[in-house]
Amino acid sequence: MKPVYLLKPIHLVFALLLVIAGITIFVLISDVPAGASGTPHPTIAGLSVGGDGTEKLSAIGKAPYYFQVAVILLAGTLLYMGIPAHRRDRLLRLCFGVGIAFALFVWVMLFSGYEAYLATGQTRVLFGFPMPTNWMFWGIWGSFAIFDVFYFFAFRRYFLHPDDEAAFNELVREMEAEREAT
Amino acid sequence: MEEFRQPIILGFVALYMSICIWVGIWAMRRTKSAGDFFVAGRGLGPMVVSLAVFSSTLSGFGFVGGPGLVYATGLSSIWMAVCSALGFATGYYLIAKRIRMIAEVRNSMSLPDIVFARYGSEAARLLTAGTILLGVLGYLATQILAMGLVLQSILQGTDMFADISLVASVVISSTVLIFYCVTGGIVASVYTDLVQGIVMIIAGALVVITAAHVFEGGFAEATGILLANDGEDIMPFGTLGAMASLSWYFLFGLGLAGQPHVATKMMMNRNLSDNKIILPMTVFGYVVAAMLWISVGVIMRALVLGDVGLPLGNADQAAPEFLSTYAHPILAGIVFAGLFAAIMSTADGFLNIGAAAVIHDIPKALRGRSLDNELFWARSATIILSVIAATIALYSGQLVALLGAFGWGTFAAALVPVVLIGLNWKQASARAAVTAISVSLAINFAIQLWAIKIPYGISGGFLAMLSSMIIFIAVSLAEEPKPLPKDIDRILEL
Repeated sequence: MKPVYLLKPIHLVFALLLVIAGITIFVLISDVPAGASGTPHPTIAGLSVGGDGTEKLSAIGKAPYYFQVAVILLAGTLLYMGIPAHRRDRLLRLCFGVGIAFALFVWVMLFSGYEAYLATGQTRVLFGFPMPTNWMFWGIWGSFAIFDVFYFFAFRRYFLHPDDEAAFNELVREMEAEREAT
Repeated sequence: MEEFRQPIILGFVALYMSICIWVGIWAMRRTKSAGDFFVAGRGLGPMVVSLAVFSSTLSGFGFVGGPGLVYATGLSSIWMAVCSALGFATGYYLIAKRIRMIAEVRNSMSLPDIVFARYGSEAARLLTAGTILLGVLGYLATQILAMGLVLQSILQGTDMFADISLVASVVISSTVLIFYCVTGGIVASVYTDLVQGIVMIIAGALVVITAAHVFEGGFAEATGILLANDGEDIMPFGTLGAMASLSWYFLFGLGLAGQPHVATKMMMNRNLSDNKIILPMTVFGYVVAAMLWISVGVIMRALVLGDVGLPLGNADQAAPEFLSTYAHPILAGIVFAGLFAAIMSTADGFLNIGAAAVIHDIPKALRGRSLDNELFWARSATIILSVIAATIALYSGQLVALLGAFGWGTFAAALVPVVLIGLNWKQASARAAVTAISVSLAINFAIQLWAIKIPYGISGGFLAMLSSMIIFIAVSLAEEPKPLPKDIDRILEL
């Protein structure tokens, strides 16, 4: 069996989509506890309440956790596909590995923090919000903002190499010449 | 100053609309061809493109529906906003460069043109254009209705217009929108987006500061109230739960690149190398403006659950109620102008791609060439589409909600595999594109028409998008790879 990094990205994308579909089907055919997607507030119209978070996960267990792990890996692989094959080098793979590992770390911290809150009913409040919520606001957003920053700094090396830009300009000239000739 | 609150708000909104009209007149002189009308002659600078991309992504939903959703369901909907860094990354990593290259080499004016260039299939072009038209009508109707409702609520607060009807409010706001879209096409659209983006960033930043001071203890006090009442609402998955939130993350994070009004703007920059700074500027603008979504919703929910404020009659009143009660009149004026900016910046983009679908893409797919005198017909189509959308908004009842809900998920499910994967994988086939679009439309329509309730609050759009992505790759893998046209083959190498 080939190591993962030797597989074509599209095959990994396809496999991850199937994993996500599998988890989704598992959730869809699982029992649905009362209030799985919230219940109306008992006295205030238009508001819903979350209720018992532990009960909500009772039938599907850690399915959401594995779902998001697969989504993060899928997102990373798709972004990797966007870099021309001949520009993908060891440094790029290292950067992507670190970026995806960080995104997974954030997700683990978020979900484990949420599970701890469900178990104890206690949570730390930082910057005005509970810790797991901070991981969501700053971590989930920030873990892919890193890829946006990478785009800026590595633009000429991976995303529009001067040689590729020259090759494109050459193609434009060729196509214009062909159009004029016809 | 409090006694002048309504005139101040009205003044800011009137000033904003006047700027839009002025931009429309200015842009008319720069619009001499259909290419100018639809893709601004591919001559826009990075600042204009980045603000146009972010402001058309964050529609009126982000300023009205978003805070309303947080008020009603806690933080579940915030997953639609925190995915923005991923959404813009997929857009710029996977499609921005290639879509711009194809546009230049093939002189493309629309996303269906790009799809045709990539797959060489008129069926794929027709389906893409048809999907855009369906989604545009729905989205546009909801945006026009939102514009009318907001204008009506502002005008009704004044003595002179206390009895103004919704129809009159829709007519006034739509007239401004139609004027600058018809006269200046996409040039007016992107330059008003520039103004709109700046207004939205200022509004977002100022509202967060205001919201942080509603409670003496700031957001921590609001969080304490929510934790004491329910707790799930202020935790990361809100009241709707983990699967609902995560399915939205998937749909909005990976689906952003399939939004035609966003993707089309990626064809318009002057230089390919401008993408380097367009991406970070877009992400920055979006995140600042989206803070309004989170902060207003959290504070309004805490006020009501903490018995400080009265319950709202409708969740969508969260932002207007916050502004009228807690914001300084000048800030309220800026934010109401920002609200119009958010709605109009999305609506004008939709009008433009909708007009392109009607007069350029569908005729090309059906008879091999677009209409003669495209510029004239583009302007006519813009007016006709606006009138149809306004009529749907005012008189269709349930249809507007149905079409509105159809929007984002439809575009994401139908176009993400075809564009996002298809522009990065040579083996992707025309048959796969046609199948994926058809299946995604069928799933989306079935879920909406039969109001199918999906367990755990999982998004129907997510199911359609996941299915279409799998089908697209499976069908392509099952087929023998076919050679691509020389220019497309070389572009996919770069």
